[in-house]
Amino acid sequence: MKKAISSVLSFMLGIGLLAGCSSNDTASSQNDTKASKQVELKVFIGQPRFKKQYETYFDQFVKKEKQDKNIDVKIKLELPNVNQASQLLKTRLASGDSPDIFSLHAINDIPLFNKAGYLEDLSKEPFADKLYDTVKPAVTTTDGKVVAVPLETLQWGYLYNKKIFSDLGLKIPQTMSEMKETVKVLKQHNITPFLLTYKDAYIPQLFLPLTVGGDVSTTTPDFIKSMNEGKGSFKDVKDLFNVMDLVNANGTKRAFENGQDQGASDFANGKAAMWVQGPWMADSIVSANKDFEFGVAPLPINDDPKATLLNLSTSTSLAVSKMSKNKAVAKDLINYILDDKDSSDFYKSLGFNAVSKVHTFEPFPWLKESSDYVSQGRAYQDPAIPSAVKDESQKLFQSYLAGDASKADVIKGLDRAWDQFNKNNK
Amino acid sequence: MPQLGKQSNQMAINQVQPKTSSKSTLSLKKQKGTLSLLLFVLPAFIFYFVFLLIPTVGAGFYSFTDWNALSQTFHFVGFSNYIEAFKDDPDFRHSFFFTLKYTAFMFVFQNVIALLLALFIETRVRTKGFFRTIFFMPNMLSLIISALMFSFIFSNVLPELSKKAIFHLLDQPWIGDAKVSFYSILIVSLWHGIGYMMVIYMAALQGVPSHLKEAAMIDGANPFQRLIHVTIPMIMHAITICAFLTLNGAFKVFDVVYALTAGGPGRSTQVMALNIYEEAFSNNFRYGYANAKAMILFLIVLVITLIQVKVLKKKEVEA
Repeated sequence: MKKAISSVLSFMLGIGLLAGCSSNDTASSQNDTKASKQVELKVFIGQPRFKKQYETYFDQFVKKEKQDKNIDVKIKLELPNVNQASQLLKTRLASGDSPDIFSLHAINDIPLFNKAGYLEDLSKEPFADKLYDTVKPAVTTTDGKVVAVPLETLQWGYLYNKKIFSDLGLKIPQTMSEMKETVKVLKQHNITPFLLTYKDAYIPQLFLPLTVGGDVSTTTPDFIKSMNEGKGSFKDVKDLFNVMDLVNANGTKRAFENGQDQGASDFANGKAAMWVQGPWMADSIVSANKDFEFGVAPLPINDDPKATLLNLSTSTSLAVSKMSKNKAVAKDLINYILDDKDSSDFYKSLGFNAVSKVHTFEPFPWLKESSDYVSQGRAYQDPAIPSAVKDESQKLFQSYLAGDASKADVIKGLDRAWDQFNKNNK
Repeated sequence: MPQLGKQSNQMAINQVQPKTSSKSTLSLKKQKGTLSLLLFVLPAFIFYFVFLLIPTVGAGFYSFTDWNALSQTFHFVGFSNYIEAFKDDPDFRHSFFFTLKYTAFMFVFQNVIALLLALFIETRVRTKGFFRTIFFMPNMLSLIISALMFSFIFSNVLPELSKKAIFHLLDQPWIGDAKVSFYSILIVSLWHGIGYMMVIYMAALQGVPSHLKEAAMIDGANPFQRLIHVTIPMIMHAITICAFLTLNGAFKVFDVVYALTAGGPGRSTQVMALNIYEEAFSNNFRYGYANAKAMILFLIVLVITLIQVKVLKKKEVEA
């Protein structure tokens, strides 16, 4: 009796172990009797929240590929957790088990991956010509090769509460002096001007691309080049601290105890009029308060209205691995991402912005004015600051805002981080 | 005194050997005994070997290179990673001293409070089980969950409470200020760890022979003298173990700091493990250099615990 029970239990445990093994999803493949080519594509995208959309779109691709070229494509789609995706990808690449197509951050990752030799040149593919001119530079390497198709793009500066601004008859400030006036008016009406959320270290870091971008577009165009050559210094970015100090002096209390999630809910409930953040928080803000109206505006960094520009950046993009054994079919998939007919619905279902002429859907309400800015040319490409320097700036700005570091310390730290980047990536 | 470890098992097995027959059959039986021992240990040893020893050797290997986890090639750079960690890395130095400070506080407070609690609970008769349970419960929660829970308490609950006049002292920037956040981390670690040490001390206290305590009482010793001269020497082995566990755990602390302050604000509460983690998984992804720092941490912990165990082992007394 005892033996029977224990053997049944161990059998069940064994089955349980097997069930816990791989749980990769596969898109449908059609079993045809005709002599069609069988291709298996491994796709790796670090966005598990969009599982349905990717699966639907890849099913469409499989059907199309079968129709047009009589190739049976089996897609092994892997959607790991956002926090582990980068590590997982690097492990796969290092162990030789490279996915055919993978997602990466356009501004931060493309230089490193390109240098390590993992990105296939896609400049001659049809999709490259369909991209907007404002988006193409972000997926182009320094030697002019297009290496990825952009998925997520951003236009950002800071977010502002439309209701508060319209109630008080405020206009979007175009210079620092106008911003100071706005702050004064808000304080007269007992409204906290800025929402401060320094717990998540990436939020103080947002000031870095905003100030460097504004300066590089106007007064110091050779900043990035001189830093890469080891000749420049962050002292040249004269407006690095101006707006940071203004925001910090007129903001909510307990800044270090609140992060992005608390901030989204506070902003949606009207705790402050402005938040130096980007529209990637739109989802959280709208879910905290469905009727909340907010907009994206460019952050002024000095008294020159020409330096008050929006930051255009591209984050998630899809690239083809140089190690892939199915490059032709992979390139077909990449081209299908910007398919003339189907791409518009795809991008709309994901909630991404338009990146190409084939996209015909309406932009989000908070992006209406910012899209006007972009079409007027009042925007710049996210400056190519190495991600190592951006990571370091998170800590340095946090220390500066906590009062633990002086301006000189921050400048020295940023210069040192760029030097180390140059040394480690010769 | 129940002795832990393989030694007693070894002795027990040897005692079962038949004492008759010649020397050669005796040694053969001994070999069989050793062989069966090895076979019993083999499954656990295989896991230990594959998941702990091989990665450690691998880490040692990579610590002499400049690999950045992505390149398909890397170069050997000899000891330059180690030299850089000592000379050119102010953040590593700061994290070392911060970890040292944290370890010192943890070592003293965790052992003293656990011992006092154990002594107190041992004197209870009816409520012993109840107290033992409630003090041990925090240790059963995962450390990350506890830290996230306390993060919520420190940032939302305590500020709300401090609005009432009596609790004005609670109005601190618990996680926002460099100095106060050290104490926040300490509070969470102590809350979590004291239960474990307390249970070990309780087990040791139960092994103190009562005739010694009675003899001391008859000789006119007051409770405090009884504690110092009778109880503590008798539980010295438990003190060795608890001291070792505390030192070992405190030097390698990661979960609490990561979940509570992430080393912030800036790098003010960054401990060594967090510094190594950051070196490898952000900035320039310098896996080789981070491995060198991890080997340095390993050597520091090894040296300190060897010294500590040696010193305290000398003070152990048999009944």
